[in-house]
Amino acid sequence: MKATPARDQETVDKWEVQLRKGCLELAILAALWEGKLYGLEILRQLESDSDLIVSEGTVYPLLSRLKVLGLVKSEWVESEAGHPRKYYALTPAGKKRALEMAGIWTRFSSSMGKLLAPLGKGNK
Amino acid sequence: MTMADDVQQRDAQQSMEAYLGRLRRRLRGMNDEDAREIVEELRSHIRDKAAASGQVTASGVDAALAALGSPEELASQYLTDDLLARAEVSRSPVRILESLFRWASLSVAGFLVLLGSMVGYFLGVVFILVAALKSFHPRTAGVWVLPNGADDFNISVRLGFGSAPLEGREVLGWWIMPIGLAAGCALVMLTTRFAIWCVRQYRKSRALPRG
Repeated sequence: MKATPARDQETVDKWEVQLRKGCLELAILAALWEGKLYGLEILRQLESDSDLIVSEGTVYPLLSRLKVLGLVKSEWVESEAGHPRKYYALTPAGKKRALEMAGIWTRFSSSMGKLLAPLGKGNK
Repeated sequence: MTMADDVQQRDAQQSMEAYLGRLRRRLRGMNDEDAREIVEELRSHIRDKAAASGQVTASGVDAALAALGSPEELASQYLTDDLLARAEVSRSPVRILESLFRWASLSVAGFLVLLGSMVGYFLGVVFILVAALKSFHPRTAGVWVLPNGADDFNISVRLGFGSAPLEGREVLGWWIMPIGLAAGCALVMLTTRFAIWCVRQYRKSRALPRG
C-alpha cells in the first residue's frame, strides 16, 4: 500500500513530536545548569533558547517526576509579586545525568551532522 | 482601583480557584503533601502568568488556564508521571495498583489497564497461594482436571479448602509447589511490566508539544 502525501506529512509530524519530547528532559536539566529557576522561568528559557515549545501542562508534571527521581530538588521562596514560588535546582545526581546526556547528544548530533551534510548541499 | 477592576479581580480569582479545586479533587489519593504542593505551584504559576502585563485580569487568568489544559488531563499526567517515577524506584505491585486505581478514575485507558493488571495479579497470587497451601492440603490443593459431560473437562486451580472433588484428578502433585511458585512470580512480574509499558505508551501518546 502506498502512503498518501497527507499521511506522509502526519508521519513526519509525529516523528518531530517524539524527537522534541525525547529532548525535553535534557533541555530542562540544561536550563537549570546555571542556577535555580521556577517553573515559568524554565518554560520561558525553553521557549527563548530552543525550538522546544512545549505545553505548560507537560513541563510541570515532568518537573515533579524529575524530583521524585532525585535529579532536581525544590524550595519555596517568597517573591516580590506577593506569593511564594517553587524554585528548582539540580542535585548532584541531576548534574551527573545532565552531563551524561549532553555528552551523548553532542556525539550523536555531530555524527548525524556528517551524515546529513550532503543533503544540505543538495538543497542549495 | 475602580469597581469594575474589583469585579474583574474577583472573577479572575474565582475561575482560578474553581480550576485548582477541580485539579485537587482529581489528585485525591496522591500523597497529601505532594498534591497540596502541586496546587500551590500551579496557583503561583497562574498568578505570574496572568499578571505578566501588570494587573491580574480575568482574561489573563483564562488564558493561563487554557494553556495548562483541562484539570482532568493535567491530573492524569501528574498521576501517570508519578507512577512511572515510583515504578523506577520500587516495583511493588501494591504501589502500582494504588496508582492505577487513581488513574482509572480519570481515564478509560487507566480503567482498562487497571482491569488487566488486577486479573494478572490475581492469577499470580492464586498460583503462589496454591503452591504455599499444598503442604497444608496435600490431597486437595493443586491443579485439577474435572470431567464436564461426555468428552469435555474443566481445569480448576484449587486452594484445597473443603473436601476433594468426587471425580477428576489432581495432575501436578507435589510439582505444584515449584511450578506454582514460578508461574505465580512470573505472572506478577509480567503484570507489573505490562502496567508500566501501558502507562509509558499512554504518556507517549499524550503530552504533545504545542506548536
